[in-house]
Formats: sequence, structure tokens, C-alpha cells
Amino acid sequence: MIEPSIALYGEAFAKVTASLDELLTKAHVRYAMLVDRKGFVLAHREALWAPKPPTLDSIATLIAGNAAATSALAKLLGERRFNELVHQGERIGLYVEEISNEGLLVVIFDETAPIGRVKLFAKKSIEEISGLIDSLGSVETTNADLGNDFALDASALLDDLFKGM
Amino acid sequence: MSTINFAAREINCKIVYYGPGVAGKTTNLKWIYKQVDDSVKGEMVSLATEDERTLFFDFLPIDLGTVQGFKTRFHLYTVPGQVFYNASRKLILRGVDGIIFVADSAPNRLRANAESMRNLRENLQEYNLSLDEIPMIVQFNKRDLPDAMPIEMLRAVVDPKGQFPFQEGAASSGGGVFETLRAVSKMVLERLAKSK
Repeated sequence: MIEPSIALYGEAFAKVTASLDELLTKAHVRYAMLVDRKGFVLAHREALWAPKPPTLDSIATLIAGNAAATSALAKLLGERRFNELVHQGERIGLYVEEISNEGLLVVIFDETAPIGRVKLFAKKSIEEISGLIDSLGSVETTNADLGNDFALDASALLDDLFKGM
Repeated sequence: MSTINFAAREINCKIVYYGPGVAGKTTNLKWIYKQVDDSVKGEMVSLATEDERTLFFDFLPIDLGTVQGFKTRFHLYTVPGQVFYNASRKLILRGVDGIIFVADSAPNRLRANAESMRNLRENLQEYNLSLDEIPMIVQFNKRDLPDAMPIEMLRAVVDPKGQFPFQEGAASSGGGVFETLRAVSKMVLERLAKSK
């Protein structure tokens, strides 16, 4: 089963969002997200003045796919990894950099934010967040016996979902 | 092996549509996107070439709802079928929970079906997985073709041991699309419930 690689809750989550908020304000960017390499959104903040963002799931999945392709490319070329990725359009820019092994910081900005400033404050956030993530360790998962009730309930929901199709 | 993230109380299952090029994997996903209620589906992401061949993947998240307190979600992915794109195909298989192998019933695609199945086994092997453990269903698609090959013949090539359940499909008009997805979803959830 796929699940987020980083368990980000409670205090750790609050610290990450605080760091993302600071990045939003200081670099004057639209959105700042922490996603993992599997494409899960772990934390997301947006500036008050920013328009509604596109679907976060789509962004995260594409970022993760892109990161996977980029790291496969790096390996082909004999590099351990390529660190950062920048896309700049006429108005909107996208900056992605890895945080620790599992996370990716995604910053979306517009023409009001110079790329230099984005990178500067992004690196600061990365430093803060990566220390935090490393201290969390990997997700604690339990190989649980969910039992028959789970299978029955899930099956009923499935039937309901596909009813009449 | 299935694991559940208890802290998040979330279960995410990754279902991958595999199979040779132009067999109808993306068509399956498009049909699901079209039919399923807005409240349970996310945006569909499609990375395709100009001539509609999947280049990297298609992605569609579906919310099943809350099962025994766990928010349960299916992530549906398709792989690019063209032989050429194996590197990206391999990436998509990572963390797979269930596979729908979409086989093409056209007579001239018999060999492509067999090659894709072999390729699937090889790619899974790289993640130390095998089809003995991952739930899989075969969908014999394009049953509406006038010259569709007989199921027995297709099965003899794709699944000679008769190991996997199968479903007939005509994905362009929705035939068998939900039946296939439902069947594999049940297998995935049952495996999840049994895993210890």
C-alpha cells in the first residue's frame, strides 16, 4: 500500500507550517508545499493574496513523477541526484528542491518574487524542515489485522460506489 | 506486504493499469472519470503525447469513504504501454497494490500482450515483487471488435496457467470497466484485511 513516507502531525506539523508561512511572507510567493516523493501533500500554505490554487493532488502527483524521472536521469548520467528544479514561465515560476531523502519543497511564485529571493528563503526553510524530518524518522506503520468487518464494510462501500454503473 | 498508517487513519491503495500500447488503459480511466460522481473523484492527470499515447502516466484519485474509521482512497494509475517507455513504466509500478492487466483482443496484438505480461513480471521482479502476491485481474478489452480473438486463445497466451481472474471489456463504451475495477479493488481490500 502506498502511504506518506513522513508522518507529520501535531507539533512537527505546526513547525513545518510555521516555516512555510515564513517562506510565504519573506519571499512573497503564492504557495509553499511540502510533498513526499510518492506524491502526497504533507503540508500546504498559501498567501492570503494568492488566487485559489489548482488541485493540490494533481500538483503533488506531477511533482513526484517529475522528481522520480529527474532522479532516474541523474542516475543514468552517473550523478547521485539533481538537487533543485526550476521552471519559469512568463508569469508563474515553480521551484522544487528536496528536503531530506523523502520530502520535496514546492514553491510556486509569480513575477513579483525574484527567483534569487525565492531560492534564498526556500533554502532557509529546507534547513529548518529537514532537521525536523530527520528527527521524526520514518513513518511508523503497523501490520495490522483489520479483520473481516473491514473487508465487509469496504465491500459494501465499493458496491455503493459502483451502483448502477 | 500491506501496512496501515494508523496515525493518519488513512489507507491509500495504488492500482495500476498495465498492458500493451493501445490496449485501452487510458480509455478505462477516462470512462471511470466520466461516470463517477464529482464528490468522490479528484482531477484526472494525463501525460500523453500529441497522438494520445500515454507518455508517463494517467492518474485519478477515487475516495471510497471511511471504512472502520479509516479514510480509504484508491489511486488509479496507467502506465505507458509502448515498449519504448519502459523506464517510466517501471517508476509507476513502485508501491503497487493491485494490477489490472488490459489485454488487447485484436489478432495482431497477441504477441504484444504476451510481451507486456513478460515485461510486467520482469519489472515487478526489480521491486522484489511477484504476481503470486500482488492481486491482479486480466481485462480482455475490445471484445466489440468484429475479429476479436476467442478468450481461450488470448488466455492461453497471457495467462497460460489460468492463474488470474478475468473480465471481458469494451472500454470505449464502458463495457466491463467498473466490473474490472470493482473486482481488483475487492481483492486489494481483502488482502489488506487479511494481512498480518
